[in-house]
Amino acid sequence: MTATDAFQEKVITYLTRQMPGASAMSLDNVQRIAVGWSHETWLFDVKYTERGEAKKLGLCLRRDPGNALLQHLSDLGQQFRVLKCLENTAVPSPKVYWFESDLDILGAPFLVMEKVPGECPSPWGRDGLAYYATAAKRGKLPQSFTHALTTLHTLDWRAAGLDFLGVPGPGDDFARREIAKWRELIALSGHGPEPVMTDLLGWLENNIPPVKHLTLVHGAYRTGNLLIHEDQISAVLDWELQVIGDPMYDVAYVLSALNRDGTPLLSNLVERDAFFRDYEAATGFTIDEDACKYYNIMYAMRTAAFWMSASGLYASGRSNDLRLARTKWALPVVLSNAARSLGY
Amino acid sequence: MTEAELLLRMAATLKQDIGPAVGAEYPKTQAFMAGVVLQKIAAQLALAPAHAQAEADEMDSLVADLNATYTMGRTQQAITRLAQERDQETLCALIETLYVTRDEIGDGQFFQLIDRIHQSLRASLDRRLEYSE
Repeated sequence: MTATDAFQEKVITYLTRQMPGASAMSLDNVQRIAVGWSHETWLFDVKYTERGEAKKLGLCLRRDPGNALLQHLSDLGQQFRVLKCLENTAVPSPKVYWFESDLDILGAPFLVMEKVPGECPSPWGRDGLAYYATAAKRGKLPQSFTHALTTLHTLDWRAAGLDFLGVPGPGDDFARREIAKWRELIALSGHGPEPVMTDLLGWLENNIPPVKHLTLVHGAYRTGNLLIHEDQISAVLDWELQVIGDPMYDVAYVLSALNRDGTPLLSNLVERDAFFRDYEAATGFTIDEDACKYYNIMYAMRTAAFWMSASGLYASGRSNDLRLARTKWALPVVLSNAARSLGY
Repeated sequence: MTEAELLLRMAATLKQDIGPAVGAEYPKTQAFMAGVVLQKIAAQLALAPAHAQAEADEMDSLVADLNATYTMGRTQQAITRLAQERDQETLCALIETLYVTRDEIGDGQFFQLIDRIHQSLRASLDRRLEYSE
């Protein structure tokens, strides 16, 4: 029996226990998703018999590899809780079934959720760029992109039970919480002193914009983190960095040049004027471009912290993925761009 | 052949011979990445002596300029420590002190000092970009 077969056997054993009415269970179309540096992800269909009837259920399983890049910022247990809260809301998200912290089952914590129909082209490759460019011309997907973000920002997060994420106090508390969170990641990275990062953090703490609204914030809203089906967003994915905070934090990410490649279209997809018009009309919020500029510098800090963490994982032997080692040389590039944003 | 040149040769072998011969996607990517990492190390190694000298000169110049500015209290202490230690850790401590004491020292002095530090940080970043991009 190969490691893959053994893993699938364990999944079947687990699912059989979770679905007591099901028998003759098997997995079909098993696909391990190679993208991403955080949680291991498998997509598959479960075929089974229930009351004499043959059935099929599409599932997605995410397992914590124990060295995920953002592991301490958002574990799978929290992702499960967030997705559970989003069920029966307007936010397109997968239905979640089970979360298991018992290491005896699959060797690490994991969650099982619905396999939502759709595809998720990477916006960093030639094929993905062509996909989004074509979709932009049709016009339906850009509208759906903006609409899905507005469903997030207009969600009654208290009613949905999302206040467990932590509710920032008034004034500058949201930004201070975010900066503290990323400071923690930097400290855990084991990276040596980095004066440009120290300067960035000091600048961010000294220039916090006023927060006008508190909403659910995804924290990485862009193409590549959104599942697309029939020219519409079928699910918002990658619930790893969500917070209750300033919606301009997400808007800044949409506006960011980091998330487009050789096109003026936001996230390679949406015309800027259309995004402003549709977002402001649907949320009632005015996009604060000064706040967005601030949050874009925060994203630069985040990216630098991410690379510090990634290269640290490789250096410390917690990961053998050479893509992480490579990020050591991505760090000066990000820091240089951030320094330019601060005027040097 | 220098160490840097040897690393570049190894990088080429990984990217041109080993990587293409690997069938499975993940190890293929890893072989290619190993080549990229060796290229970066080779470039960094080749520039290391010149960069070390430039960093030392830059630190001398920074300390001299900061010392020439009239400062008091915690800011002065942080500058004195930088003059003694001349390392990245004390430079970070000075930057932190400047932001924390900004109200105390006033914007005029804050910007005078931080702008001078930025000048050194930019020079250092530009050197790192020579082997990172």
